[in-house]
Amino acid sequence: MWAVATLTFFAIRLIPGDPAQAILGGPGSQASQEALDQVRRDYGLDQPLIVQYVAMLGRLLTGDLGDSYALKVPVAELLGAQIGGTLLLAVLSLALSWVLALALSLVSTGRGRVATAVGEGVELTAAALPQFWLAAVLIAIFSTGLGWLPPVATGTPSGLVLPVVTLAIPLAGFLAQVMRESLLDAMSQPFVISARARGESALGIRLRHTIRHAALPGISLSGWALGWLLSGAVVVETIFAIPGLGRTLLQAVTLRDIPVVTGVVLLIALVYVVMTVLTDLAARIADPRLRQEAPR
Amino acid sequence: MSELELRQTTIDAEVAHAPALRRGRRPRLPRAGTFVAGAFVVFLLVATAFPGLLETHDPNQIAPSEAFESPSLAHWFGTDESGRDIYSRVVEGTGTSLLIGVTATFIGLALGLVLGVLAGFGGRVVDYGVNRLVEVLFAFPGLLLALLVIVVYGPGPVTATIAVGLSTAPGYARIIRGQFVAIRSSHYVEAARVLGHSRPRIIARHVLPNALIPIFVLATLGVGQAIVWAAALSYLGLGAQPPAPEWGAMLAAGRTYLSVAWWMTVFPGLMIVGTTISTTVLGRALARRGKGDA
Amino acid sequence: MRAAPVTTTTTKRRAGVIAGAVALVSAITLAGCQAAEPEASGDPVEGGTLVYASGDAEPTCLDPHVGGNYPQALISAQFLESLVSRDATGEIIPWLAESWEPSDDRLAWEFTLREGIEFTDGTPLDAEAVKVNVEHLKDPATQSSTGYLALGKVEAVEVVSDTVARFVLSAPDSALLESLAQPWTAIQSPAGIARGMDANCQAPIGTGPFIVDEWVKQDHVTLVRNDDYASAPADAANTGPAYLEGIEWRFVPDSSTRYAALQGGQVDVIDNPQPDTIAAAQGDDAFTWLDAPRPGASNRIELNSGQAPFDDERVREAFIRAVEVNDGIESLFFGTAQRSYSPLSSREPLAYSDASLFETDLEAANALLDEAGWTARDSDGTRMKDGARLTLRFPVSTNQSIPAEQSLFEQVQATAKQAGFDVVISLLDLSSWYGALAVNEYEIVSAPYTKVGPDVLRILYHSDSIIPAPSGYFANLSQLDDPEVDALLTEAASTSDPAERAALYEQAQQLILGGYYLLPLYDQQNSFLLSADVKGARAMPTVSTPSFLDAWLIG
Repeated sequence: MWAVATLTFFAIRLIPGDPAQAILGGPGSQASQEALDQVRRDYGLDQPLIVQYVAMLGRLLTGDLGDSYALKVPVAELLGAQIGGTLLLAVLSLALSWVLALALSLVSTGRGRVATAVGEGVELTAAALPQFWLAAVLIAIFSTGLGWLPPVATGTPSGLVLPVVTLAIPLAGFLAQVMRESLLDAMSQPFVISARARGESALGIRLRHTIRHAALPGISLSGWALGWLLSGAVVVETIFAIPGLGRTLLQAVTLRDIPVVTGVVLLIALVYVVMTVLTDLAARIADPRLRQEAPR
Repeated sequence: MSELELRQTTIDAEVAHAPALRRGRRPRLPRAGTFVAGAFVVFLLVATAFPGLLETHDPNQIAPSEAFESPSLAHWFGTDESGRDIYSRVVEGTGTSLLIGVTATFIGLALGLVLGVLAGFGGRVVDYGVNRLVEVLFAFPGLLLALLVIVVYGPGPVTATIAVGLSTAPGYARIIRGQFVAIRSSHYVEAARVLGHSRPRIIARHVLPNALIPIFVLATLGVGQAIVWAAALSYLGLGAQPPAPEWGAMLAAGRTYLSVAWWMTVFPGLMIVGTTISTTVLGRALARRGKGDA
Repeated sequence: MRAAPVTTTTTKRRAGVIAGAVALVSAITLAGCQAAEPEASGDPVEGGTLVYASGDAEPTCLDPHVGGNYPQALISAQFLESLVSRDATGEIIPWLAESWEPSDDRLAWEFTLREGIEFTDGTPLDAEAVKVNVEHLKDPATQSSTGYLALGKVEAVEVVSDTVARFVLSAPDSALLESLAQPWTAIQSPAGIARGMDANCQAPIGTGPFIVDEWVKQDHVTLVRNDDYASAPADAANTGPAYLEGIEWRFVPDSSTRYAALQGGQVDVIDNPQPDTIAAAQGDDAFTWLDAPRPGASNRIELNSGQAPFDDERVREAFIRAVEVNDGIESLFFGTAQRSYSPLSSREPLAYSDASLFETDLEAANALLDEAGWTARDSDGTRMKDGARLTLRFPVSTNQSIPAEQSLFEQVQATAKQAGFDVVISLLDLSSWYGALAVNEYEIVSAPYTKVGPDVLRILYHSDSIIPAPSGYFANLSQLDDPEVDALLTEAASTSDPAERAALYEQAQQLILGGYYLLPLYDQQNSFLLSADVKGARAMPTVSTPSFLDAWLIG
């Protein structure tokens, strides 16, 4: 976490533009020199960089993320209001993409050339779909065309459907590719052969034995997938007008709102750490081999 | 997480080194598919090297009176908002798009390879350090990393490429490290070690060749993905600069007119998907051959 | 029925979006001639909440005194009101002030306020409140920029009586009333201001028909009806409280999503529709188009005359002669935008146009460039002079230029190439764009500027505006530096005689256009698509913000 904070702090200093200007209404403002000096003093921007850096770390230790330059409210408060929506969006998308990917890989793997080729084609196409285009097509079909789902997410469950699907489809394409590989591996394992020898049906084998193998890489990739989803959230939240971290981040970067950018990045790092612990646990459940050994 | 990946990939690697079993199970893609993919890649290469051969119009020639024309014999893929021929622009844009995709993937892979090799073979301390670094980078959302690079160095195809490359590097680094760790602990490397071969020799002779094939397959996927990320940057207004016809930028521009001119997004989109699929299909075919020869 | 301040049309269903688009221009102009306010469609209906989807950036502060940009004006016009307003003909009309009178030397103006008006927190609207507001605007801690500049000549406000406030000026200001008509100088409750900037940014308190109830960041602002409302501007149809119970003001940044939401009935009004969706909506009885170009400057491409190559008038003229934009405006804007030949918006009664200066003539352009010494050509066909290429850097703000405008700039790039100009477009985010301007890294640029009245010319073309603010920002982007223009603009800003003022502004515009400092494109596009269920909505003739005081919902 400390490393993330440091990296962010210095990365943002690289951005051209004066933070004092950002505080005073952003670029193009006609703020006077006195107002600028006043703001620099108030926010400690006249101090050397290292002093500002230490001050920031000190505040972070006490859980204080500072105040947003542009919105003039505490960052913690701002992000607290946004994180729920983004996490819900990300978790739902992740769950849906697992389901889609599992279904796709189970249906198309080991069922002959045509099924495999079609399955791979679908996966690759899905993975190559840009979210902003997919979102527009989904809106055109389900909102404008059929009138089933609202294009603007207003906090209702139906409003979340399109954003979740938009995020899940490309991700499912990725996950399915990985799952297919491990499924293929699993299906050539001795235990499958012995199960078949025992006379179990093909479907039974798939559901009882190999699904765990297919799920495993999906689970261990979830940390990565979550990061991917948060990147995607920048685009998807903009299109579907969902309040959330992605949009906050985009706005903060354009307005050079350093405390907010730092806050968002720290928050995402925290989520990532938590997610890593969770996927570890989930993987132990799915893979008995990991349970037998004491954790190092 | 890392130990988990380690085991996971170990399992994969062990299975992968039982080629007989694997090849028997794995259905070969239809030869026709490989052929089509090959033909498509040849088309892309010609379009990159000699776009003039394939173009039917000047890709930057505007004709406002012919704007938004649907596909026809005169304009195979229709025309865009300024009356430019989309087919010719798609051809003209091949070079730029592939350059972005390939370069970004290359940057990502190269960085990932360095980090991965360091982590996989540098001993415990280096492994730990690199792992933490990669995790820090990983926690940074890719698009944010890209946005920062662009804001610092200004938008444009070059910065977009670098930005996309940097933001994909941590992902590659993890996977590559996993591969290396898996191979390092495999039987034949152990055997080589027992035989007293030096570490660089083991890396060069045994590990790299075995790691490279999956990485190559991975890279073929990455090219299309890099183009898609660059397109997302174009959507946010920070990608290729006009009038350069780049697929991602064309896709982003066409989105505005989705309801009036579907052809503006569909054809550049098909090119991206087509490129991804055909490079992957070829990549896998090559990988199979490589494995067969090994 | 009063004169329609804006063009409102609901045309019949038309088959084929594109085919219909061309015919639209004539349809719009025709419909605009009939006073097409939808009042004929029945009596106002009480109640209902209107959902508005805004594509403008979400303000960081709802108090338009702080900073002062258009997104703030859009929403604050729903709950804050100004001392005066402007009617459709450009005349200043009473609002919170019922009358005003300048002194003989025009250095003092006495405004008499309406009696019995209260802010929505119960504070009375009196001369003291006006004084507090002007002091708030002029206080550096408020960080005002637009309102601060507008009141540049106001030295102080004196309380003459409860209802009479005297503005004391440092110099005569013919633009004072126009400045006070803007939302950026709106009058707020002194008690609200006294809460401090943080609280006041969240929910400013005014006299308007609606009250800020709640602001959920990045999502929406809930506005509820002011049941005691009694301060309608002189040209409003409704003088009592609004018919609507409230407005849900949503922020929906993506234009396709906004239109889809309107089509699906999820929202009732959207702003910033793309030209192709306006054209599509025109063919549909379910929508009404409210076309309300912004006042102030037209949208134009400024030629930076402060450095080579555009310090040479011949090169500037050559560029303007070489660039072809009419066809592009026609096709890219689907007939929703009219070509402009004036530095001022067509909303400004004093706008002066001269189409003859802007005729495209490639041969003339080539001859002018040859004459100016740009005779050599490199392998790309770009002209050269003394080893320098004829390169024009064109920073484009993706926040300020809609996709159709960006495409138009690409067409400018393509046509200018024929004469040997190499136009290099850079699409930039807002901060980087201002950055490029501040360090003079541009030859051509397009920047919108909204203000009430022709005094905007002084801001954009007086040589004083070349001097940058501490942020590096300056408004005179063509860097026009002509003592004659300066003198005309200064005099026009202080004269008391309307006829003389008009004549001075006309001369100034002739000089500005005749020196080929700018290429006017069209009015600053500003329009709204309304569901046909929304009746009586209009755009304010001040800065074209929507007004829902007179509006009601049917069905």
